[in-house]
Amino acid sequence: MLELSDVCVTLPAGGNRHRVLDHVCLDVAPGERVALVGANGSGKSTIACVCNGALVPNGGGVSVDGVGGLSRDELARLVGRVRQDPQSQIVSSVVWDEVSFGPRNLGWAHDRVESAVGEALQECNIAHLAGRSTASLSGGEAQRVALAGVLAMHPSYLVLDEALAQLDPGARRGVRGIVRALLSHGVGVLDITHLEEDALSADRVVVLDAGRVVWEGRPWELAASGSVVRLSGLQGGRLRALEALGWPSLGADAPWPPDAGKLALMASEGGLERELSDACLLVQGEPKAAGKGARGLSLDGVTVSYEAEKPALASATLRVEPGHVCLVVGPSGSGKSTLALAASGLVGPDSGAVTLDGSPVRPGDVGLAFQRPENQLFCATALEDVAFGPLNRGQSREWALAKARDALGLLGVGPDLWDRAPLSLSGGERRRVALAGVVAMGQAAFVFDEPTAGLDGPSRSLMRNLVRRLAERGAAILVVTHDVGEWLPVATDGCLLRAGSVAWSGPACGLLDPATYERAGMEPPFEAQLWEALHG
Amino acid sequence: MGRTLAIGTYLERRTWLHGVEPEAKAIALLLLTIATFGARGPLGLALVAAELVAGVVTCHVSPRTVARAIAPTAVVLAFALLANALVVDGSGDVALAGRLGVSIAGATRGAFAVARIVLLVGLVCLVSSTTTAPQLADGLVRLLAPLGAAGVPVGDVAMVVSLALRLIPETVGEFDRIVLAQRARGVRFDEGGPLRRLGRYASVVIPLTVALFQRSDDLAGAMRDRCYSGRAPERARWGTWSCCLVALAALTMVACLWLA
Repeated sequence: MLELSDVCVTLPAGGNRHRVLDHVCLDVAPGERVALVGANGSGKSTIACVCNGALVPNGGGVSVDGVGGLSRDELARLVGRVRQDPQSQIVSSVVWDEVSFGPRNLGWAHDRVESAVGEALQECNIAHLAGRSTASLSGGEAQRVALAGVLAMHPSYLVLDEALAQLDPGARRGVRGIVRALLSHGVGVLDITHLEEDALSADRVVVLDAGRVVWEGRPWELAASGSVVRLSGLQGGRLRALEALGWPSLGADAPWPPDAGKLALMASEGGLERELSDACLLVQGEPKAAGKGARGLSLDGVTVSYEAEKPALASATLRVEPGHVCLVVGPSGSGKSTLALAASGLVGPDSGAVTLDGSPVRPGDVGLAFQRPENQLFCATALEDVAFGPLNRGQSREWALAKARDALGLLGVGPDLWDRAPLSLSGGERRRVALAGVVAMGQAAFVFDEPTAGLDGPSRSLMRNLVRRLAERGAAILVVTHDVGEWLPVATDGCLLRAGSVAWSGPACGLLDPATYERAGMEPPFEAQLWEALHG
Repeated sequence: MGRTLAIGTYLERRTWLHGVEPEAKAIALLLLTIATFGARGPLGLALVAAELVAGVVTCHVSPRTVARAIAPTAVVLAFALLANALVVDGSGDVALAGRLGVSIAGATRGAFAVARIVLLVGLVCLVSSTTTAPQLADGLVRLLAPLGAAGVPVGDVAMVVSLALRLIPETVGEFDRIVLAQRARGVRFDEGGPLRRLGRYASVVIPLTVALFQRSDDLAGAMRDRCYSGRAPERARWGTWSCCLVALAALTMVACLWLA
């Protein structure tokens, strides 16, 4: 049993000391998966640090299998931790070296290291990657390497610190499979997550709020109370469906978690099909007609290759009208990011043309936001950084500052933060400032590349609202994402990529049809399964 | 997406030389280099050449790879040969035109010099085709392990070298990403005079430095999580092939220095 007893952590923050964890009691039994949920800033990562000895609590303690008072190194050996960003955990240039890093640090003999590494590589299905350079790994492969590196040390417990947040659905399935195998071998897992799928399928759920454990119980008990769900900060299609059905209490004997078919059945039994449909399957209607001359963003037969004979994007044709939001969906490696770069004029196509309102797109004509937009902040004050883009358009400084103020207002950044150094702001505030910098130029089209990956509920809502507001102002918007469900209420069109080509494109209601995904070789998301169950 | 950095010309195969410890390869290379430059006659060079050819053939290194490695030095080699062979004072054994002639002794000297360089390049190419940069770095640091007794933090040096190799491609990638993000905000990196362009890169270098500091914090945490302790890399056990290779190289060196 991994046990946290009465753990208190007080951290200095900007001069005032504040309590990050307040008398937290938590336990994880061997072979059990406990999901730890809560809003950003509630202390989840601090718990992860305490569990593996990275942080020594000011009060209370951690015990593993009844043994307390362990040194930090002993705790790190017994409790493994996998973090969100795979590449930030990888220390070596070669996969084998990386996985053997932990065992070698423990001073194990050469033979023992070899066998531990071999086993760990097998468990994570990456034995074929042993000699590969770590820089060439995909996100899913890198996270499995990080996991293997931890497993090679034979921990008794594992802390997954939002380990699936930045992975695409296929990679997530792979890691979940490995974790299931570990559970069956008796490893206890503490799963810190924002994903409703992982929270609802855990053995137990613990909700953290402002450093305190405010609720603990089985996942079906969590889903029977709207107030607890709100406290947990979880969002997702299944929870929206359960809310539409009035938070039914589905005891321990009912199959859990409920799949789309079960939910549709419950809806038809209770006469709540309309409510269910409105909650989960509502798609954005046709926006109002745009002004004259605005023809939107257009890609015609665009081909981009980085290597000879292997086009990353092959003859892609796509039209996004002004005021429309087009979702670009596809498995990893299907060319989504290349499409985003080509659409914003940053990568010149080898053939075909990209035009905005009829003229060819040059860099700066189309706004582009990557996954971590806060990585581009560099000016002395937030206002200056946001004004940087408009200034580059060659307009007057007053015009640029006015645009910057407008954009900061759109993103909800108050005037008290405008003169602060952007790097001194909190993570969420920095993201808002960076997004303001992207939209301040007032372009007619925007491309967002995986804007919500790794974000919590409120930040995701912020992104969706921003896209909605920009579309209302008449911009043509492309959103590259692998989470269709959360963007359906905002999307007007969709496009599925497969191996660099457009496998399907059409109005957003097509994203509800499972047949569309089969064409792209993808598994249909929950919303499509629900649609089929209700109308099939 | 992004550029791929090619560090060396490593060929991923499974040959006997791939299995030899990098320290053994480094020592053998040193011994054979001494042999090549210490050989006094054609027999010694022929011996080293035979070993090089045997190595290239058994490790499936294509002759084209070796030729490509020698190509940059071709001009220098040609110059060295000509400089040694040609005489301009009429004392040459074979007269060409007027006072210009070829001296046989000089030509032989030049040929020897060329042969030594070609053999050296070939041996280095063979080593770099069968050893990755990280392996070589590890091997060289292990060779320094005895210094640990003198208080040198060999384990930390090894870690620093390994992290540097790991972070170089990553830094390049991060640099490219930030350049793209700033170009999307209208920065023209390709316009204006050199000073102006340099000024524009401030918008890339500042966030890159911040990101690298953040990255180093995260890496330190990850190393700590895996119980990093600065322990010196243990001496790898040398397999049969490693011992044979170093023994052969030592014998070759002795033979070359001795043979006429």
